[in-house]
Amino acid sequence: MDAAFVNPYLVAVQNVFTTMLGIQISMGKPGLKSDKLTSGEVTGVMGFAGDKKGMFSISFTKESTLQVYKSMIGEEAQGVGPEVVDCIGELTNIISGQARVQIEKLGYKLSAALPTVIVGEKVEMSFITKVPVVNLPFTFQVNGTQGQFYLDFSFE
Amino acid sequence: MKTLVVDDFATMRKIVKNVLRQIDITNVTEAENGKQAIEILRADPAYELIVSDWIMPEMTGIEFLKACKEDENIRKVPFVMVTAEAQKDSVLEAIKAGVDNYIVKPFTPDNLQKAIEKAKAKAGK
Repeated sequence: MDAAFVNPYLVAVQNVFTTMLGIQISMGKPGLKSDKLTSGEVTGVMGFAGDKKGMFSISFTKESTLQVYKSMIGEEAQGVGPEVVDCIGELTNIISGQARVQIEKLGYKLSAALPTVIVGEKVEMSFITKVPVVNLPFTFQVNGTQGQFYLDFSFE
Repeated sequence: MKTLVVDDFATMRKIVKNVLRQIDITNVTEAENGKQAIEILRADPAYELIVSDWIMPEMTGIEFLKACKEDENIRKVPFVMVTAEAQKDSVLEAIKAGVDNYIVKPFTPDNLQKAIEKAKAKAGK
């Protein structure tokens, strides 16, 4: 896995969070995922194919999910219901689109499937690739409250 | 202005409707995919604007766009594609199919408003 692929996801997430949510994010130290479990409690997943094949997921804590929903829609949600799940699915879709534009600049064309959202902690996920999964941790602040999410991706 | 918003994600339909409300477009119908959308348009020729996503089940945005442009009663309705598909090939494909404007997610309310104005001008509305 070429470290050059980290940047497309970083750019994509920054762009989406800034433009659509009005949230500044900070990335922590990238690493390799040591397990096959979802990193947070609400996880958007998308596979892709083309010049490379693989998957990426964006995984939020429950509190961060609700913060993201409120920032995106302008309404508070009491829990992770269908509207919130839908919102995370769409966010995953938009980040995927932006990342693919950046990856295209590296010379690779990718197409994506429809996103899936997994609700639950430590749910086992099977990344379809045989190469290690890169894990990017992110934090953000909304109204003085810290939020957290993780971006995992792998392709070959 | 009677408007049809097409997206399989309810969240995005809500966001687009909120932006449309800011530019005084409040007469808005929603559809979850291109198949539903084309049925709505064929049943009612009074629509003046279409705002559609690309990746949708049953009938994609590009298939829906082509169906609209092939229909004499619908083809002059300004069609704005609002999509996460930002790669050059996708944009070119939509232009070839006759899209009146194309805006990539994520977008600001201002981006969408300008895209709608340009689409209306291009369609002579």
